Amino acid sequence: MALWGMVIDLDRCTGCQACVMACKAENNVPAVGAEEAKRGRVISWMQVLTETDEEHHASKTRFIPRPCLQCDDPPCTKVCPVYATYRNPEGIVAQIYDRCIGCRFCMAACPYNAKYFNWFSYQKEAPGQNPDVSLREKGVVEKCTFCHHRLQNARERALAEKRQFDPAEYVPACAEACPAKAIVFGDLADPASEVAQLARSPRAFKLQEELGTKPKVIYLTEGEGSGS
Amino acid sequence: MAHERDDHEDILLAPIERTGPGFYWAVAFLSLLILWGAIAYSVQYTQGLGVTGLHQPVGWGFYVTNFVFFIGISHAGTLISAILRLSKAEWRRPITRMAEVITCMVIFIGAGQILVDLGRPDRMMNVLHHGRYQSPLLWDATSISAYLMASLTYLYLPMIPDIAILRDRLSKRKLFYSVLALGWTGTEHQQRVLNRAIAIMAVLVIPIAVSVHSVVSFVFSMTLQPAWHSTIFGPYFVVGAIFSGIAGLIVTMIIFRKAYGLHYYLKPIHFRYLGQLLLIMALLWFYFTFAEYLTGYYGAEPEEMKVFWAKFSGPFSPFFWSMVLCNFVIPLLCLTSLRQHTVGKVLFASLAIIIGMWLERFVIVVPTLSYPRLPFPEGVYAPTWVEWGETAGSVGLFALFYLLFTKFFPIISIWEMREGREKSVREVEERILTYLPGEVAEKP
Amino acid sequence: MEYQPPVSDRLIRRLQWIWVGGAFLLVGGFIAWIVHLIVASWRLDDVIQASVGISIVAIPIFLVFMGVIFYVFWGVTLHGRKRED
Repeated sequence: MALWGMVIDLDRCTGCQACVMACKAENNVPAVGAEEAKRGRVISWMQVLTETDEEHHASKTRFIPRPCLQCDDPPCTKVCPVYATYRNPEGIVAQIYDRCIGCRFCMAACPYNAKYFNWFSYQKEAPGQNPDVSLREKGVVEKCTFCHHRLQNARERALAEKRQFDPAEYVPACAEACPAKAIVFGDLADPASEVAQLARSPRAFKLQEELGTKPKVIYLTEGEGSGS
Repeated sequence: MAHERDDHEDILLAPIERTGPGFYWAVAFLSLLILWGAIAYSVQYTQGLGVTGLHQPVGWGFYVTNFVFFIGISHAGTLISAILRLSKAEWRRPITRMAEVITCMVIFIGAGQILVDLGRPDRMMNVLHHGRYQSPLLWDATSISAYLMASLTYLYLPMIPDIAILRDRLSKRKLFYSVLALGWTGTEHQQRVLNRAIAIMAVLVIPIAVSVHSVVSFVFSMTLQPAWHSTIFGPYFVVGAIFSGIAGLIVTMIIFRKAYGLHYYLKPIHFRYLGQLLLIMALLWFYFTFAEYLTGYYGAEPEEMKVFWAKFSGPFSPFFWSMVLCNFVIPLLCLTSLRQHTVGKVLFASLAIIIGMWLERFVIVVPTLSYPRLPFPEGVYAPTWVEWGETAGSVGLFALFYLLFTKFFPIISIWEMREGREKSVREVEERILTYLPGEVAEKP
Repeated sequence: MEYQPPVSDRLIRRLQWIWVGGAFLLVGGFIAWIVHLIVASWRLDDVIQASVGISIVAIPIFLVFMGVIFYVFWGVTLHGRKRED
C-alpha cells in the first residue's frame, strides 16, 4: 500500500510562490477578491509562510511552503462530527465537501492552519477551470489533497493502457511547478523512492513534530552554505 | 384533603388569570430584539458566514462564545433545584421552579447557537445520520439531549400538583391542564410516587449537568491548541457554569419579583443565601482561573505565552481585566456583607457576573485562535452587526419563552410552599432534635 | 362560577396516553439514534470504542428516564385514583 508523502527542501525554496499559483489553478481555488482578502479570508491550499529569525530580523527570513501536511495521526479527522474528513488507506487526508456541515471544528483543531473555509459563495463556473476538481459551495471546509485527482487520473490511464501504474506518474501541481525543484513527491513506503531517501536525510525535520501528528510533509533544513 | 386557601396564593395565580399592559410592552420589546436576530440570521443564511467578523485563523467567535455561555446559564436549575432539594434546604421552595424553567428554556437557545454557527445548517441532519462519537461535538449532542430530557422531566414532575390546582380553580384551558395534570388528586399513594420520582430525577440530573459542561469544555481541551489543551477545563467550565447560572437566576428572580409582586414569597433572606452561594462560586472561579494562568505562566511554553501575554497586556487585555473585575472584584465587594441592601447588592453583583462570565468565554475562545503556532498573517476579530443581532435575538427569545411560561403555569410552586408551611416546620424540628445529644432510639 | 360543560374524561385520558406515549417515543428515539451511530462506526471501521463507551453511559440514563416516566404515569394516572387512602 503506498504512503504518499512530500519532502520540501528549504535550502532550495526561493519563496517565488509558483507552487501557490499552480495549486490554485489546478484545484480551482477561488480568488476571494481584495475586500475579502483584507478581512483575512484568502484561501490558499499551498501557502508560503515567512519566518523571520528573532535575533536577525533583517538578514534571515525563511520561506516555508505549507500544504496540508497529511498527518498520519490527524487532529482534524478526530474532531469531525460527520465523517467529512478522514484519512484514506494511502495516507491522504480527504475532504468530502458534500458531507461537510461547516462547523469548523477541524479548522480549530489543525495546528498548522491548513484548512480553509468558504465564507461566501466564492466559486462560480468559469472557463479555464480544471474539470477534474469539484467546485466548493459556501459553508464548507477545503484543503490541499495532494492533488488526489491526479492520482486517480494516473491510475485510470494505466488501467486503460493495460499496464502497471508507475508512482512517478503521480505528481501534485506544486511539485511539478517548482522551478527550484524544492518539492519532491512520492511513495514514502517505498524505501528506494527519492522522497523516502530524502526523508531519511540528516537535514530532515517535521513541523511541530512534538505534537505527535506524524505529518507526511518533511522539510529539509538549510545546509551549511546558507550562513546559519 | 382541605388546604387552607391562602389569599396570597392569588398572587401566584394572577399572572395566569390576568394579563396587564406590562406584559404586552415586554413582548413588544422582546419581539424587536428577536426581529433583529431573525434579520441578522436570514442575511447570514442567504449570503454565508462571511457576513460575520470571522476569518482565517479565527474561525470561532461570538456564536461559540454564546453557546458556552447559554449552556452555562442552564446550570442554575440543577444546582438550586436538585442539590438544595437533596440537601433538604428549605429556603429553596420559592426558587426551584424559576430555576428549572431557566434551565429548560436556555438549553434550547444554547443548542441553537451551534446551529446558527454552522456553515451548512441545511445539512444539520448529517449529525443524526452520520454522527461520529469520536468527535466532542457528538458528546455535546448526546449530553445536551440527555440534560434537556432530564430537565424537562424534572421541571414537569413537581408541576403536576400545581397543574391540578389550575385545573380545579381556573375556568380557562380546562382540557390543557386536565391532560397535563395526569389525573392528580393528591392521594397519599400519588404523593409517594411523585416524591420518589422527583428524588430519582434530582439524583440523576446532577451528574448529567456536570457531564454537560465538561463535555462542552472538551470541545476546546481535546484539541492541541495552546491555552486550550488543559486538563482543568472540565471542572473549570462546570464551576463557571454554576457561577453564571446562579447570577442569571438572581436577575430573573428580581425581575419577576418586581413584575408580579412576589415580595411575600421572595424575601431578602433568599437573596442573602443565594448571594452567599454566589460569593463562594466567585472565590472558586477565581481559584480555578488563578491555577490555570499560573500553570501556563510558570511553564513559559512559547506558544502558551503568546496567548497569555495577549490576554494580560495585549489586545485582549481590556476584556481579560474587565472579566476579573466583574467576576471577582465586584462580587467580593458586594457580597461579603449582605445584611443591608441585600437585593440591590446581589442584583449588581449578578449583572456584573453575567457580563464577566460572557467575557470569560470570549477570552477563552478567541485569543487562542488568534495566535496560530505557525507564522501566519494575523487578523483581528471584530464582530459585525449580524453577530450582535444574533446575540440580542437569542437573549430576547429566551426571555420571551420564559415570559410565556409564566403566563401558563405558576412561577412559584404553590404546593411546595404549602408543604413547607404545613409539614416542613415540624420535619425540620424533628431532624434537628436527632442531631442533639441523646439516646439513640430503638427502631420499631 | 358560570356553568362550564364538563370536559370528557375519555378525551383527557386519551390525550394523556398520547402525551406520555410521545415522551416515551422521544426518549426511545434517542436510544435508537445512539445505536444507529454505533452500527455506523462499526461498518465504517471508525473508532468504535468511542461509540460503545458513550453508549454504556448514555443508554442506561435514557432507560432510567423511560422508567421514571412510566412509573409516574402508572402510579399517578392509571392507578392513582384506585388507591385513595
